[in-house]
Amino acid sequence: MPELTVETRDVEGVTLLYPKGFINAHTVRLFEGEIQKALAQGQFKIVVNCAGLVYIASAGLGAIMGAIEEIRGNGGDLRLASLNETVRNIFEILGFNHLYRIYASEVEAITSFRRVEEAGS
Amino acid sequence: MRAPKPSLMISIPSQTSFLGLVREVTKKMAESAGFADGTAERLALAVDEATTNVIEHAYHGSGDREIELRIEDRGPEFRVEVVDSGATVDPRAVPRVDLGRYVSERRTGGLGVHLMEKIMDSVTFRRSARRNVCCLVKRKDSAAAR
Repeated sequence: MPELTVETRDVEGVTLLYPKGFINAHTVRLFEGEIQKALAQGQFKIVVNCAGLVYIASAGLGAIMGAIEEIRGNGGDLRLASLNETVRNIFEILGFNHLYRIYASEVEAITSFRRVEEAGS
Repeated sequence: MRAPKPSLMISIPSQTSFLGLVREVTKKMAESAGFADGTAERLALAVDEATTNVIEHAYHGSGDREIELRIEDRGPEFRVEVVDSGATVDPRAVPRVDLGRYVSERRTGGLGVHLMEKIMDSVTFRRSARRNVCCLVKRKDSAAAR
C-alpha cells in the first residue's frame, strides 16, 4: 500500500483534495504538488478532506503554510474537513485551528464558499 | 513470572523513505506498551519528527548516513532515543514557534520540535561518545489525559 495517495475532484468550483495515508517529510511533495496544480489552474477555493489522513507532520503543515498566502491573496481559501482525532489534535496543539477553517464534513466546507459568494452578490 | 519488557533497536539509512518504517515500528511498540491507538499514532509522529530533524539538520539531507533508534517500554514510561553521528545541532538555536508570524512570514521553523515537546512528556538532547542523542519520553500515567 502506498504511504500517501492524493485524489482530487472539482465540485461547484471548489477543488477537493483527498489525501489518504500520512503526510511527512517523505510524502509531502505529492501533497504539495496537488495544491500547486490547483493553483496553476487558477483554482483558489480548496478543501482538504482529511477523512483518510492518518497524520500530518510539520512538513505537511509547512506545505499548507507555503501556499496559503497565494490562495488568500487571490480571494480564495484552503479549508479542512473531516479531521480524525489525531489530526485535529495536531492542529490544536499548533494553534492551526485558529488559522484555518475546519468543518465537520466536506459538504459543509463546500457550502461555506457558496455562502461567501451569496453574501457578496 | 514477569516477562521482560520489549525493547527494540534498529538502524536505518538517513533517508526520508524510511520514515514510514519508523512510524510503523514506533506505533506497534507504543501499542504493545499499552497506549491507545490515538496516542500511539501521536508518539509515532513525534519520532517521525525527530528522525526528520536528524536527516535535515544533523546530516543536511545526506542519505548515506546511519540513524539508530532505540525504542523501549520501561514500565512506567515509554522511551525512544534517536541517535546520529552528524553535526551537533543546538536545540536552543531552533527558533521558537511564533503563531502570529506563521502566515505573515511563512515561518514554519520550529514546528517539528514544538510538536515533539507537546506530544511527549520530555524531549532532551545530549552529546554522547561523539554522537547526538535525542531522547523522547512519554509517561504512561500522563497518556490518559492527552
